[in-house]
Amino acid sequence: MLIELESVTKIYNKGRPNEVKALTGVSLTIEPQTMVCLKGASGSGKSTLLSIVGCVFPPTSGRASIAGKQLSRLPDRFLTIHRRETIGFIFQQFNILPGLTVMDNITLPLLPLGVSPRERRKKARILTEQLSITHRENFLANQISGGELQRVAIARALINNPPIILADEPTAHLDSRLSMEFMSIMNDLRLAGKTIIIASHDTLVTDHPQVHHIVGVKDGRIHVP
Amino acid sequence: MLKTVFEKHLNILDYSLSSLWRRRLKNASVLLVFAGVIFLLASFQMVTQALTQLAKDSLENTPEITIQRMSAGRQEAIPLAYMDELSTIFGIQKVVPRIWGYYFDEANLANYTVMGLDVSAMPFGKKLNLALREGRFPEREGTGESVIGQSVYTAKDLKNRRVISFFRPDLSLKSFKVVGIFSSIVDLLTSDLIVMNIEDARDLFAIAPGFVTDLCVYVANPMEVDTIAKKIADRLSDTRVLTRSQIMKTYQVVFGWRSGFASVCLLTALAAFIILAWDKASGLSPEERREISILKILGWETTDVLAVRFWESFLVAALAFVIGCTFAYIHVAFFDATLFRPVLLGWSVIYPSFQLIPNISVDDLLLIFCFTVIPYLAATVIPAWRCAIVPADSAIR
Repeated sequence: MLIELESVTKIYNKGRPNEVKALTGVSLTIEPQTMVCLKGASGSGKSTLLSIVGCVFPPTSGRASIAGKQLSRLPDRFLTIHRRETIGFIFQQFNILPGLTVMDNITLPLLPLGVSPRERRKKARILTEQLSITHRENFLANQISGGELQRVAIARALINNPPIILADEPTAHLDSRLSMEFMSIMNDLRLAGKTIIIASHDTLVTDHPQVHHIVGVKDGRIHVP
Repeated sequence: MLKTVFEKHLNILDYSLSSLWRRRLKNASVLLVFAGVIFLLASFQMVTQALTQLAKDSLENTPEITIQRMSAGRQEAIPLAYMDELSTIFGIQKVVPRIWGYYFDEANLANYTVMGLDVSAMPFGKKLNLALREGRFPEREGTGESVIGQSVYTAKDLKNRRVISFFRPDLSLKSFKVVGIFSSIVDLLTSDLIVMNIEDARDLFAIAPGFVTDLCVYVANPMEVDTIAKKIADRLSDTRVLTRSQIMKTYQVVFGWRSGFASVCLLTALAAFIILAWDKASGLSPEERREISILKILGWETTDVLAVRFWESFLVAALAFVIGCTFAYIHVAFFDATLFRPVLLGWSVIYPSFQLIPNISVDDLLLIFCFTVIPYLAATVIPAWRCAIVPADSAIR
């Protein structure tokens, strides 16, 4: 299994008055090269689950194994290294830095790896060609459309060639045509060997024929509808 | 491996530059204020060094030892007969009598320094002609002649006239022909100076015949100055014996004290700036928080984020240092330190207008660097730690 969660619990601010139990006893397995959708209302625990799968933080209790590494055993630094080698993120707000060019945004994850500018451009060019945004490479992020921003976010998620792509509400700011286009790109990536996990409550995503599994999340637990 | 580490830091430096550019307005204002503070500090340091050097150069041709007679702790006229006593001390090359006094010009509210001596009697007398912008020194026998400094020339509004008059103590008038004017290069010492024949000075100040204000002693071997000074002090117990190095130290103390006082004021301004920088670095705007969380979720480590902060601060500080020091040099070299001249040159009434040559050593630059750049780096990078530990998941939530 690429992703294995066993009785995972996540408590924010444990032991403090503002303690919040976000996940309770979540067990989940995800096979490689599948497209999984985490479905749930706002505040259900989708983002927390996505953060644990994305190696952002370890669970408070339980066992989480991502691409062969036990998260609870990894110190923070190694968690970061494991994250950048394994996970590509696509965010709801795209999270593209507005003052940087498209090219600079795409290559951001490569900077701390010591990749030379020439190599960075070469890697990014392959992705901009695949995603048809080569003509926008030198544009500032705030000068391009929402659909193009989405593609920039996808290119940035793929720049390190991670095996797992996580997308958090990726179609929230897209119209139905662009949403379908996004799902099509995700499916292409799955066929190319990636594992796709999308957190969404958009029916265009949840009802998409290429989604293999839908995992319902409600009140911090896996919910079978 | 080493190449990768080097490339990584180049990438982070590149990102820092672009980050500075993205917030150019904020960074430009910090740069401007910081460069201003460094400019003030560097200017003071450079002016102090330049003045000390100028004083050193100017004192080069002055006597190694000056003897003044003291009575009740105050200076009074010294008899020429003391020269006979000095002639018995081995190592003294020459003793030149001198009358040194001050003349208050009520019309111009200016205090002039009057020096009566036989210039040709001084061992370096001929060399002193180089200090003149025009003319010559008074002849040994010629009375009624004088050489004046730049400020006296201006204060007396001489233009093409070459005669100046002063009142004796009995209010009778004594006129002098101006036969030379000092060059501005030696203005620090000669700006308010009037040099005349010793007899003329005696007449102007009504000093009794056979008396002068001080005796200038020239020594054959400079290594012997202190020994000879001690011998003189032993033989002539009612005198004050001043060596050239002591006078030099007085200049250094005077300029150093003024510069030090001003530096304390400037360091206070610097401290205020550093506190402001600390305060600014401690707080993060929502955009900055978001940027850090995005970088972290994309695989940047806390140390990488800190490195960006360090390079940003270092680039601002280093640029401010270069700009501040460059403008300080221009200010001192080409504008004669106009801003600080009144603070550093507490001249009586008329201010000398000499050319300052900036003199700043690597030590001084390092000192300014340590007092400005390093506290700024500490004030911005240390609180940045709090910013760099922004949780990565805030980009998701």
